[in-house]
Amino acid sequence: MSFIKDQQQEFRELADWVIDQTKMAGASDCKVSISKKRAVEINYRDRKPEVIKEATTQGLYLEVFINNRFAGKSTPDFRKSTLAGFITDLIDNAKIMEEDPFRTLPDPKYFAGRSTADLQLADPAHSGLTPEERHAMAKAVEDACLRMGGDKVISVEAGENDESWEDFVKTSNGFEGSSKGTYFQIGASMTAQDEGDRRPAGYHYIGCRYRSDLPALEDVGSKTAKRTLDLMGGKKIETETLPIILENRGVGRVLGGLLNPMSGGSIQQKRSFLADKKGQTFASKLLTVQDDPFIPRGLGSKLYDDDGFPARKRDLILEGKVNEFLIDWYYSRKLGWEPTSGSISNLIIPPGTRSVDDIIKDLGRCILITDYIGGNSNSTTGDFSVGVIGKLYDKGQFVQNVAEMNIADNHLKFWNKLTEVANDPWLYSQLRTPSLVFEGVVVAGI
Amino acid sequence: MKSIPRRKFIQGAAMAGGALLLLPDLEAGMLLSNEKSGNYFLKEFGIDEILCRKLLAKALSRGGDFADLYFEFTLSNYLGLEDGKVNQSYGDISLGVGIRTVKGDQIGYGFTQELTEESMLSAAATASTLCNMNATPVSSSFARPKAGNYYPVALDFNGIPAKAKLPVLQSINQKCFALSSEIAKVNAGFSNAVKRVMIVTSDGIMAEDLIPSGFLYASVVAERNGKREQSGWNLGGRRDFSYYTDEVVNQIATTAVNNTLKLFDAIQPPAGEVPVVLGPGVTGILLHEAIGHGMEADFNRKNISTYSTMLGKKVAEPFITIIDDATNMNLAGSINIDDEGIPGKKTILVENGILTSYIHDRISAKHYGVEPTGNGRRQDFQNYPVPRMRNTYMLEGPATPEDVIKQAGNGIYVENVSNGQVKIGEGDFAFYVSQGRMIENGKLTSPIKDVNIMGNGPKMLANITLAANDLEMYYGGAGQCGKSGQGVPVSFGLPTCLVKSLTVGGTQQKGGQS
Repeated sequence: MSFIKDQQQEFRELADWVIDQTKMAGASDCKVSISKKRAVEINYRDRKPEVIKEATTQGLYLEVFINNRFAGKSTPDFRKSTLAGFITDLIDNAKIMEEDPFRTLPDPKYFAGRSTADLQLADPAHSGLTPEERHAMAKAVEDACLRMGGDKVISVEAGENDESWEDFVKTSNGFEGSSKGTYFQIGASMTAQDEGDRRPAGYHYIGCRYRSDLPALEDVGSKTAKRTLDLMGGKKIETETLPIILENRGVGRVLGGLLNPMSGGSIQQKRSFLADKKGQTFASKLLTVQDDPFIPRGLGSKLYDDDGFPARKRDLILEGKVNEFLIDWYYSRKLGWEPTSGSISNLIIPPGTRSVDDIIKDLGRCILITDYIGGNSNSTTGDFSVGVIGKLYDKGQFVQNVAEMNIADNHLKFWNKLTEVANDPWLYSQLRTPSLVFEGVVVAGI
Repeated sequence: MKSIPRRKFIQGAAMAGGALLLLPDLEAGMLLSNEKSGNYFLKEFGIDEILCRKLLAKALSRGGDFADLYFEFTLSNYLGLEDGKVNQSYGDISLGVGIRTVKGDQIGYGFTQELTEESMLSAAATASTLCNMNATPVSSSFARPKAGNYYPVALDFNGIPAKAKLPVLQSINQKCFALSSEIAKVNAGFSNAVKRVMIVTSDGIMAEDLIPSGFLYASVVAERNGKREQSGWNLGGRRDFSYYTDEVVNQIATTAVNNTLKLFDAIQPPAGEVPVVLGPGVTGILLHEAIGHGMEADFNRKNISTYSTMLGKKVAEPFITIIDDATNMNLAGSINIDDEGIPGKKTILVENGILTSYIHDRISAKHYGVEPTGNGRRQDFQNYPVPRMRNTYMLEGPATPEDVIKQAGNGIYVENVSNGQVKIGEGDFAFYVSQGRMIENGKLTSPIKDVNIMGNGPKMLANITLAANDLEMYYGGAGQCGKSGQGVPVSFGLPTCLVKSLTVGGTQQKGGQS
């Protein structure tokens, strides 16, 4: 099996050629991004391969600026004979755009200060992974899930997928960056027979940059079965106001409603309920959200952002206050603010000291929310509403599984109800969030 | 690598869609599915029958039931207006072939972006690794299926200079600001793609199509007494440029502004179970989530759908008939041929309350011993097809809309929805109501907004107690259905109907305080 070789030099030569051609064709400035990725996917069902998929993809994305007019386009075709026409077409597109004084490449002074840290994004062992090992990994997860699921199992789908990628970015005003990475994912989904026609489906997938960081395959399979069996008998209960715990891995579903309104685009376009909250306390003091790009092997780790600005560790929300917005170059100019970086890396909510099990014992009647369904969040007003699935406890004792229920609130009220942060950050995501406890939440049911 | 920013294409997707009358179906019968699509890959890329046969033979060189090739060339464009200027142009070129080997319900899949013989043979070899048997023969000839033409293209977007689209966006912007002094911001976008496909199967099908898609949208922020609200509207589907007339532009601008201004008076309803009336049109997303996904036959052949044991059984009142249809003119989910080369058709899922058919691709059709329903769809050549909906709607019932609202007594009325989700095995679903009204004593009262509604598909279907005579279809083009990591355009439709009880996710308990 062939994997991507080091292609930085080839990418650099192509980027230089594209920049030269684009400038010669009339662009004031341009930015070219080139990437190549190889991905493999193996899925098993009923103890045989259900899907075997493998391919290499490549892409070149070019942005051109002509006296404050802008256009961008991508192509998979790297041949210079066709790229020449691609560049000309893109220049023609840019020329007919309306002039926008804010459409420029970033000021190069903001490119300075990039870290040289080794983020360990690419696992050298990836190229040694054989087809037989991939099949064995998927089979081991499937076996463990079937074993733990027992006679409740209707179906198990287990899989392994992995990829290696390499990219290169260069601008006509002096920015150059490159990165390489790998990603491995294993996991399964299981459907179980419940009462009547209900067939609860649970899933458990784990992704890592390094193969050696994956948990034991058997644990992944059995955890899938356990999470599925935990859904059995799920029913809605009477609408009730009570404490809820958002399980660590799902916190992003609600937290996402805070991130979008923190972006420069939302603020400048008047679609942000947080626009006038800079420096103000809008949430419980227990809420701190850090953006840390330097976590070794982190799924969101990076040395520079989409504008080419050096990545840096920062507090977005500090003890309930909006500390820093996500302001990219374009909207920084429109707002007349300093840019801060418009994109996130790894988001961290610093963990607390107690486990979810311990917390539940002290909460009385409460619901641990383990999954979501549907829902949305209005970035202009802060209103959100989302379906929830979980487990009802009373004084630490399990009462029943709940499904088909809903939580709704306004973010400006909801985050003030945060009363405790658990000690269990979820490490297999760009969002490294621990479980969060909220009190006095209306959970809608019957 | 940064391809076209996905959000640029989907930022209109959260907006409510159009609601016009269903247009009549076109009789099938054209030799090619779209008259401009014939022999494109032969002319442009030299893909002839000999080469196709060679690739299919490679894909079946280690055995398999059948193999297929899916050639695709798509040009996508987006033009965006912000702060009064059309200042963003994004484009994307997608070219490649996906090669699939199928054995029973197992799939081997390879794809390549290079249409060279060497690369394509390599992708075929990847697909063939699924099997380890003797080679399966490839058909000695290929026949072109007869299919309808549900989206004739007169003014192909690729033939329109980008400059021609600028005045359309400027016109939307001006109209929105002219409609109300409370409008603070207008974003507008023109998203369109032209996809050319050729499907060649080892059992002798060769089909081509030219598939337009896209939408024009306006998204509006209004300010009143220090409060802000945002909403929008889009229209589109499988249209060419000639669709976007002044009348359509007016409709988009007017609806976007009206939708936004209504929200200033909106409240969140009390939480809990209440009767829910679904207004006509875009609310058909309820059928898509609550029923349609559960009827996709891959879930049923694996026995993981809540509908797995319901075929032939009564699932709804006798006045309910639900259809998944590829043949509605210009709707976003219409397809002349599916992505396995099967002509698009109309499939009755529920007839007079009885579950009559699942939604099939070739694999599931073989499993159930039925004809494929033409629902094998995929996002692009990088993905293999799975059963997907097209345009899903319910036929009209006997009541008037006023009767339905009156019958509800006290509950909520749903006007616009933005998104939904379903859990296939449990049948539980949710959809997000961006706009609606309270129903009090059988009459529409206060506007409501931003409410998630939950239910269970089979229970909900059984609980539709009344339907009106006012079926409307969703004529937006931004509706994307996601499954197995693939997005495909879909549409839906519904007459006004009453669901006896669903859970409304409000912020306060009934009769209590927030």
